[in-house]
Amino acid sequence: MALLKVTDLTKDFGGVAANSHISLEIEKGEIIGLIGPNGAGKTTLFNCIVGYHKPDQGIIRFKDKNITGFKPFQTNREGIGRTFQLMSISGDLTVLENVMIGSFCRTSDRRIAREDASEILNVVELEKDTEAYMTELPIATQKRVGLAMALATRPELLMLDEVASGLNPKETEEMVALLQRIHEAKGLTLFVIEHVMEVVMPISQRIIVLDGGQTIAEGKPKDIANDERVIKAYLGEKYAKGRKNRGSI
Amino acid sequence: MEMLLSTLISALLMGMLFALVALGLAIIFGVMNIVNFAHGEFLMVGMYTAFLTATILSIDPLLTLPVAAMVGFLLGIASYYMLVRYLLKGPMIAQLLGTFGLMIFLRYLAMCIFGPDYKTLEHGLLIGKSIMWGPVVLSYPRLGTAVLSMLAFGIIYWMMDYTRLGKALKATALDVEAASYMGIDTERMRGLAWGLGGATVGIAGALLINFYYVFPTIGILFCMIAFATVALGGFGSIKGAFIAGLIMGLIIDLGGTYIGPQYKFALIYLTFFLVVVIRPKGLFGW
Amino acid sequence: MRTLKDALSFGDLPASERIGFILFIIFCLIFPWIIKGGFAQAVMIQFLIFCLYGLGWNLIGGYGGQVALGQAKNVGMSAYTVALLMVRWDIPFWVCTPLGVLVATVESFILGYFLFRLRGHYFAIATIAVSLVWQQLFINWNFIGGARGIELPLRETPNFIYMQFDSPIYYHYFAFVLVMIAILYMNWFRKSRLGYQLRAITANEDVAESLGINIHWVKVKTYCITGIFAGMGGAFYTVYYNYIDPFSVMHLELSIMIALMTMIGGAGSMWGPIIGAMILIPLDRYLGAWLGGRGIIGVDFMIYALMVMIISAYEPKGIWGIIEKARRKR
Repeated sequence: MALLKVTDLTKDFGGVAANSHISLEIEKGEIIGLIGPNGAGKTTLFNCIVGYHKPDQGIIRFKDKNITGFKPFQTNREGIGRTFQLMSISGDLTVLENVMIGSFCRTSDRRIAREDASEILNVVELEKDTEAYMTELPIATQKRVGLAMALATRPELLMLDEVASGLNPKETEEMVALLQRIHEAKGLTLFVIEHVMEVVMPISQRIIVLDGGQTIAEGKPKDIANDERVIKAYLGEKYAKGRKNRGSI
Repeated sequence: MEMLLSTLISALLMGMLFALVALGLAIIFGVMNIVNFAHGEFLMVGMYTAFLTATILSIDPLLTLPVAAMVGFLLGIASYYMLVRYLLKGPMIAQLLGTFGLMIFLRYLAMCIFGPDYKTLEHGLLIGKSIMWGPVVLSYPRLGTAVLSMLAFGIIYWMMDYTRLGKALKATALDVEAASYMGIDTERMRGLAWGLGGATVGIAGALLINFYYVFPTIGILFCMIAFATVALGGFGSIKGAFIAGLIMGLIIDLGGTYIGPQYKFALIYLTFFLVVVIRPKGLFGW
Repeated sequence: MRTLKDALSFGDLPASERIGFILFIIFCLIFPWIIKGGFAQAVMIQFLIFCLYGLGWNLIGGYGGQVALGQAKNVGMSAYTVALLMVRWDIPFWVCTPLGVLVATVESFILGYFLFRLRGHYFAIATIAVSLVWQQLFINWNFIGGARGIELPLRETPNFIYMQFDSPIYYHYFAFVLVMIAILYMNWFRKSRLGYQLRAITANEDVAESLGINIHWVKVKTYCITGIFAGMGGAFYTVYYNYIDPFSVMHLELSIMIALMTMIGGAGSMWGPIIGAMILIPLDRYLGAWLGGRGIIGVDFMIYALMVMIISAYEPKGIWGIIEKARRKR
């Protein structure tokens, strides 16, 4: 049984079909990448799954439960977590408190939440920043806090929204390594939306490519990089050739 | 039957005044996403301005229109440059309470200066007269108000669509950043929006004194009406403000006559509530 | 119980705040013995009651960021319930009050359920409108006395069953106890799950929702709690003044005062409402008395309005925000 099964998803925005008859399946423990040029409909698909938008058509099943139309707090309680590009909760709360908000999802006891949040911050390697305020931190650290907040809600499927945006190459590498560690340690299923190929290509087991609201390709990273339709969508012919030369796949 | 027709037309005429009151609010909200709690108070200031000008200079209230418009314009601009400009940088609660503070300030300023009594105008071109149009009785003040109101609407509408200034305003409303890249001074546009909002409601105030009492706490009543009207018409839509104003006129006047005058307020609120729950975008809003 | 421990422990606050708090308690305790003037005592009691209102409003308005401008209706509904039950059926204070608070809370629940679907400005306007409508209703409702109000019968004092006393000292301590309970509750609240979730919502609704928080429900719950505080204040008002009418317990000015006061003192901080009340209530009473004697009305509100405008423009976190900023610099 697939962990997440999306069938025939369609979402219209004022006449423009942002998502058109999209179907996909994600198995437990997989790392799936979602790529596509700007305006392909990645964010819309993402938002429909987490519940931020209600799809016009189609069914979304999570652990074989129909969650179509569920609101974000409901999908979260079912086990879907997500990060935001800007995860700033509040300049008034410390990093630890921010993560505690996620922990409070599973407990109402402050002490348990605090311990839980501390533990998660250890996992993302931010033990020394627990008492800092978000506004004082660099972007890379903020992103990790965001990750910690989502992890605190104990998701089974973690959806990552442009987790590398704003990061320099070194930070991106570290983020990728962190994600892989978390994936191995917790067996977490990851659904990664990305523009930055250096994130998506190395860690995804499977990649789905969107363009113009539809899926145009699906497969292993290696195959996707050579897929004509994908290259055409991106006009990244030179890029695909360049990738091969650097041998990162 | 004639009674019904008379009441109907009378209500529609009143509605045009509501539309004018709402227009200012619609412009301000359209150009920048802030709500002017003090809008009713701007109306009140317009009313007192017109009233004082008419009584002190012993001129016809109609002639006070330009004065009220000017004062309203200045009040709007002053509000923007001295307060709103800073509020826009803060969180929403600051914006809300900031214009709310302005409302309280003006309300009690009027109370302090003029006292709580109700005042009315005795003399004027329009006051107390009515004409018969076929079987229907039309009150002069309402008729005059409606005509001038439509005129004001027409001018604003024309300005927004056909002048450079109007287009600049619309541009700022749609996308502030893009507008500034186009060389539009968005700060001035915003100040102007407030000025225009103040001016239109100032004119409405000058018209209103022809057939309504003047008192310091009138602001909140019309604030509610304006909000309900703009909510119904759709925040940011000028066309919407006009049509919604007419509908509001019908609801309030007819409701007041047939259900009971003490329920007027409840009707306003009910309309607002229904609109906001059923169709938050209003009829034409974005 | 852990909840009690949380409520009572102020250990995480800086020493200066704890000292300030203790001084505040001492001041309130010895006040009736050092200040004997009737007017001053009345102002002090007013101050305490407004602390109660403010601490309550701070929940939904400060921590919650929802500008609810109709608290007067909660005060009034509770006050009227208590008054009616006492006058018509001689029900003791300690039974009427929970009922009064319940009435206010239920109304808040129903209202909140519908109103919290609205965006910020709509919500604020709607709360004003509802409050005004209720006031109109009460003015026209003959069963509860309409505009004439309700007068409570005089009983033999001191009377702890109906909470009627001839000396303000009793009322002072009663109000003080209420405020202390409110402060302890706030102390628990800011560390509780509800408190954190509320702050998360205020900061960023989308992120909060993605973390499993049911935004609508949290707001409604908080609004009800605010109603409880206001309701307690209303009940106190009834037995303190022994007379209520729709113009003294349900008026717009009351709602405005509560909101302005909390905002000026510092919405969203624990001590903000108290600071706000400390400044505004004495200012209001003494200024009002001085000016009213001269026939000048409205200046007090003009001053508060100016203060709010300045605070909104420059330091939305109020006076407490200024204090905190100064502290961080050191």
